[in-house]
Amino acid sequence: MEIYRWPGEPTLHQILREDGTLAREEPPGVQDQAQAWYRFMVFCRRFDQKALNLQRQGRLGTYAPFSGQEAAQIGSFAALRRDDWVFPSYRELAGMMYHGLDPAHALLFSRGHPAAGYMPKELAMFPGQIIIGAQLLHATGAAWACKLRGEDRVAAAFFGDGATSQGDFHEALNFASVFQLPVVFFCQNNQYAISVPVTRQMATPTVAQKAIAYQIEGIRVDGNDIFAVYDAMRYAVEHARSGGGPVLIEAVTYRLGPHTTSDDPTRYRDPEVHDAWARAKDPLLRLRRWLERQGLWDEDQERAWTAEVDTRLAEATERMEQTPMPDPASVFDHVYAQMPPALRRQKQELTDLRGRV
Amino acid sequence: MTTYRWALPDLGEGMHEAEIVRWLVQEGDVVAPDQPLLEVQTDKALTEIPSPVAGRVLHLYGVPGQVVPVGTVLIEIDTAMTNSPSAIPRPLAAPAVRRRARELGVDLADVRGTGRGGRITMRDVEEAARQAATGQTAIGQAATGQTVGMSVAPSAAVEAGMGTVRQGQPPGAKAVAGSMSSEADVERVPLAGLRRVIAGRMVASKFTAPHVTGMDEADVTELVALREKLDPWAREQGIKLTYLPFVIRAVVSGLRRFPYLNASMDAEHGEILLKKRYHIGIAVDTPDGLMVPVIRDADQKSLLDLAQEVQRLSEAARSRTIALEDVQGSTFTISNVGSFGGTFATPIINPPEVAILAMGRIARRPMFGPNDEVVPRWLMALSLTFDHRVLDGGYTARFMRHVVERLEHPERLMLEL
Repeated sequence: MEIYRWPGEPTLHQILREDGTLAREEPPGVQDQAQAWYRFMVFCRRFDQKALNLQRQGRLGTYAPFSGQEAAQIGSFAALRRDDWVFPSYRELAGMMYHGLDPAHALLFSRGHPAAGYMPKELAMFPGQIIIGAQLLHATGAAWACKLRGEDRVAAAFFGDGATSQGDFHEALNFASVFQLPVVFFCQNNQYAISVPVTRQMATPTVAQKAIAYQIEGIRVDGNDIFAVYDAMRYAVEHARSGGGPVLIEAVTYRLGPHTTSDDPTRYRDPEVHDAWARAKDPLLRLRRWLERQGLWDEDQERAWTAEVDTRLAEATERMEQTPMPDPASVFDHVYAQMPPALRRQKQELTDLRGRV
Repeated sequence: MTTYRWALPDLGEGMHEAEIVRWLVQEGDVVAPDQPLLEVQTDKALTEIPSPVAGRVLHLYGVPGQVVPVGTVLIEIDTAMTNSPSAIPRPLAAPAVRRRARELGVDLADVRGTGRGGRITMRDVEEAARQAATGQTAIGQAATGQTVGMSVAPSAAVEAGMGTVRQGQPPGAKAVAGSMSSEADVERVPLAGLRRVIAGRMVASKFTAPHVTGMDEADVTELVALREKLDPWAREQGIKLTYLPFVIRAVVSGLRRFPYLNASMDAEHGEILLKKRYHIGIAVDTPDGLMVPVIRDADQKSLLDLAQEVQRLSEAARSRTIALEDVQGSTFTISNVGSFGGTFATPIINPPEVAILAMGRIARRPMFGPNDEVVPRWLMALSLTFDHRVLDGGYTARFMRHVVERLEHPERLMLEL
C-alpha cells in the first residue's frame, strides 16, 4: 500500500530580498517598469490611508484596506493584458486602479453607489466581488468561454486565503483542471481571514500545494516582492494562454491594516509579528531600496511625488463627492435587461410617492 | 464665517454610539485636512478621527468619557479662511418630517438632527417649532432626547447639561472657579473609560446593599508547606502556583454548603436568586483600574486549572485584551489585597453579587502552642463583606469558619474533590 504524503518543505520564489538586493536575476522588462511600479505603490498606499480617513469622517461607508499588499496586486495585474478577464475581490483596489480604474470610481464602492458597479467599457474587469470565493467560478466560466470561442484571452481570479476554504475554490480548480481552461487563480495569503489566522484556516502549510491535488501547476511566491510576483504571474499567464491549463499562485503577504473599517486587528494579532511585516517586509521599502541602489529614486523625488499624489487624491475625493446621488427608483433598473410590467408599476409607484412629498 | 459642523458618523456597521476618549485639538487651533481631531472608542475599536476640512476650531462639544450617539455634532470648524471643497450636507429627513416642517414653517437647515446618521426626526421639527415660538434658536444637541435650548447666554447651555459643555469645563465649573483655589493648583482629569464604569458600579453597590464586613484569621502554616511542596510540579508545567487557587477551592466548598452567599437579589420581585453554578470573580489591578475577570465553573476545575486560569485572565486583563465574556457573570468575588501587602479590608460588593472575600497577606506571627509555648505560625487575614438584605452575621460567620477550616487543613479540600 502506498500512502501519499506532502513530501517537502514549502518553497518561496523570491527575487528581491528584503534589503533591496537581488537574490537572482530580475525578469525581463522589470528594469523599465520598476520606477512606475513604485510610484503607483506609493499612490496606492496613500489612497488607502485617505480612504480610511474619509470613512472616519463619515464621508465613506465600510472600506476594506489593502495596505501591505501593493506588490502582490500591482505585480500580478502588471502581467495581464488589457483584454484579459479580471475577477477581483473587494480588497483589490490597488490592482484594479493599476489596471485602469479611476480612483474616484474606486472610492464610490465604499459609498455604496450603484455607479461603482459599472466597470469602464475598455476593461474586461468585473466589480470587486463581496461574496467570498464566488469570483473563482466566474473566472472559470469566462476562461471556458474564451476556450470555446478560440480566443487567446485568459481569465484571472483574485482572492484571499479565507476563500480557499470555500467550496467554490475547489469546484473552480477542479473544473478548470478537467477542462484545461486558460485561468490563473491568484491567492493573496495575507495571513488572516478577518480574525482567523491562516493556521486555523487550513492544516496544509501552503495554499500553493493544493494545486497538486487538481493536477495543475502551483507557485508559491513572496507576495511583498513585486519582481517575483510579476515573474510568477507572467509565467502563469503565458502558460494559460498557450493552452497549458490553469495555474494556482499563492502570494505570501500581509494585511497591515484592519480587515475593514469595522475591525480592530490589535485584538487578534501578535504585535511582534506585525512589526516584522510592517518594517522589514514592507513591499514599498524593499522596492525603494532597490531603486535607490540603481540611482533611479531619491528623497527629493519621493517628496515631490507624495505631494503630487496628495493633490491627485484630493481631486479624486472631490469628484467622488460630487457624483450625484442616485435616484432611488433606479433600484428597479438593473434587475432585468427589459423591465417586466410588475417592476415598471412598482417603479412608477415609488416615483409618484416621492413626488407627493 | 463659514461653519463646518462635524457629526459623529456610523463608524462601524450599525454602530449607534461612541465614547469620546480624548481631544487632540483645542478651540482656536488651526487644523489641516486629515489632521487628527479626537479619539473615540466604539464597541469595536479605538478610532482616531481625522479632520475633513481645513480651518479654525470654533467649538468642541462633549468631554472625554462622554458617550455620544451617532449624529451628535462634536466639533465646529470655521472654514472661511481656506477654500475647502467640502460643503455642509443637505439635511436628512424623511418625507413625512419634511411635510411637517413645511406645515410648521420650520427651515430644516436650522434643525439639528438627532436621528440615525444625523437624520432629522419628527420630534426635532416639533421641538424647533416650539423653541421658535419661545424665541430661542435650537442649536444644541438633543441626542439623548432632551433638546438643549441654547439662547444667547452660554451659561444657560453649561447648566443645561453635558451636550454643549466646552472642553475641560464640566457643568458648573464656572461658578466655583476662583472662589476656592486657582485653576493652576488643580489638574482636572476626566472620569473616562474604565474609571467611569467603576465609579458607577461602586456607587450603585454601596448605596443599594447595606454592607457589613466580618473579619477572621486562618492559620495557614500547613497550607504554606503544602504549596511549597506542590510548586515545583506546577512549575514543570509552566504554571505559577499561588495561594489564590486554594482560597478559590475553600470558598467554593463554602458556597456549596452556604448557598445564600452565591446569590443575587432581585429587589423588584422581592426574590433572592440562588446560583447553581460557581463563577468566581478575581479582582485584578490593571493600569486603567480595577477589573474582575471571571473563572467559570470554578468547582469543576483542579488547582492546576485554577492557577492557569488565574494567570491567563490576569495577563489578559492587564493588557486589556480580555474578552467580554471573561469579565461577565461572576457569582462571588475574591479580592487579593494581600498581594499589595494589605491585611484586613472592607471590600465593596461586586454587584449583583451579595458577598465578597478579601484575602490578606500571609504573615508570620508568634502564637501559643498546646503547652503555652510560643511557636511561629503563618496567618492569613480574611475579610468578608456581605449584603445584609440577603445575609446575616451568624450565617456568614459559619461560612467563614468553613473556609478557614479548609485553609487550615488543606487535606480536607481533597476529601471534597
